[in-house]
Amino acid sequence: MSAEMTKVGIVSCSGEAIPEGTISRLATRRVLELLRPDNTVTICLPLFLAGNEGERNFAKTHPTITVDGCPKQCARWGTEQHSGPVSGALVISEILGTAAIGCSRSLRAASRPDKEAIWTVAEHIAAEVDRILAEVTSVSTGQSKDGTECACSAPIPGRIVTVKGAPVTIPGLELIFRQCLARSIAADSNGITALLDAVKIYHRILPEEEPEYRAALLQAYVEFSREHGPENK
Amino acid sequence: MSEQANNRPVLVIPCSGIGKVHGLISREATYLVADEMAPKETDTLCLALLVKRDPEAVEAVRKQQCITIDGCPKACAEKNVEMAGGHAAKAVQVTEAFKKHRGAKPGTATDLTLDGWAIARDVAQEVADEAARLCREREVRE
Repeated sequence: MSAEMTKVGIVSCSGEAIPEGTISRLATRRVLELLRPDNTVTICLPLFLAGNEGERNFAKTHPTITVDGCPKQCARWGTEQHSGPVSGALVISEILGTAAIGCSRSLRAASRPDKEAIWTVAEHIAAEVDRILAEVTSVSTGQSKDGTECACSAPIPGRIVTVKGAPVTIPGLELIFRQCLARSIAADSNGITALLDAVKIYHRILPEEEPEYRAALLQAYVEFSREHGPENK
Repeated sequence: MSEQANNRPVLVIPCSGIGKVHGLISREATYLVADEMAPKETDTLCLALLVKRDPEAVEAVRKQQCITIDGCPKACAEKNVEMAGGHAAKAVQVTEAFKKHRGAKPGTATDLTLDGWAIARDVAQEVADEAARLCREREVRE
């Protein structure tokens, strides 16, 4: 299985009885829609029993991660029993610990702890997707015949900001901005520290450059917030 | 249906399908019923537990009255209840509710618009009415 062709399957338990089930569903959607849209697919867990042969073969045709809300691990058990072995298994209660206590089952009651929990779990899933894709890459040739590389080894699309009058491309800045907006990080001097920390993961910033980056990122984030903030939805 | 069903809440079991808005509507309609419209008469249960064949969950759908809510014609919730040995007293299809909301833009698999919430509320009302009817029947039998 080459990395160019591989999409990682994510199967969420979506357990209805507990908030962690809602978190598993929404974090999985977050990875599919935003964090790793080109590298992931999903299927409804109950289809392994109610569906056809093709649907039951899901875990045989995709390296699959299960995302379970509680230690009963229904998604993992159901996938392995009815579809095939999994490549990774996450349990939200282990990831979040007590952080899920203030979370809700319904979207109607969703608040900041819910959003934080969803992002945290989504990032864990994305990291697991990357790990699996890296393993697939390591057993494949690494490059296709026409010399193109798989998407996971390509640079993350960037956004240009102006630092000290010069254009600088920051990898993943659009995604970072979206993530900060979703976390209600303010476009002001308080919020810029969290934003700068996220940017530093993908882009090297020397200590002496920080003030200039801080100003440039804040200006860009203010503009982004104006265009994409909740009041514009 | 066992006699033990008499004093237990009606189980509302949605498919929670992850691919489309219909699955989210089934899920949120369930919470509207179990948390707001009929909290004493109804409860929910993780459908995934039936996929796992969890003994307690299997026993619950066999002994308690069930209403399933499915987002698509594959009817995963209804089928999984039946495969576990239970029976859906009513099997609601979210797509039916859409017929009363022609042209509605309900949202996505992640979030509902006002149209989506209106559809979820219609589905929930249908389920709550059915749960009330089942409870009344039980009282008459007693």
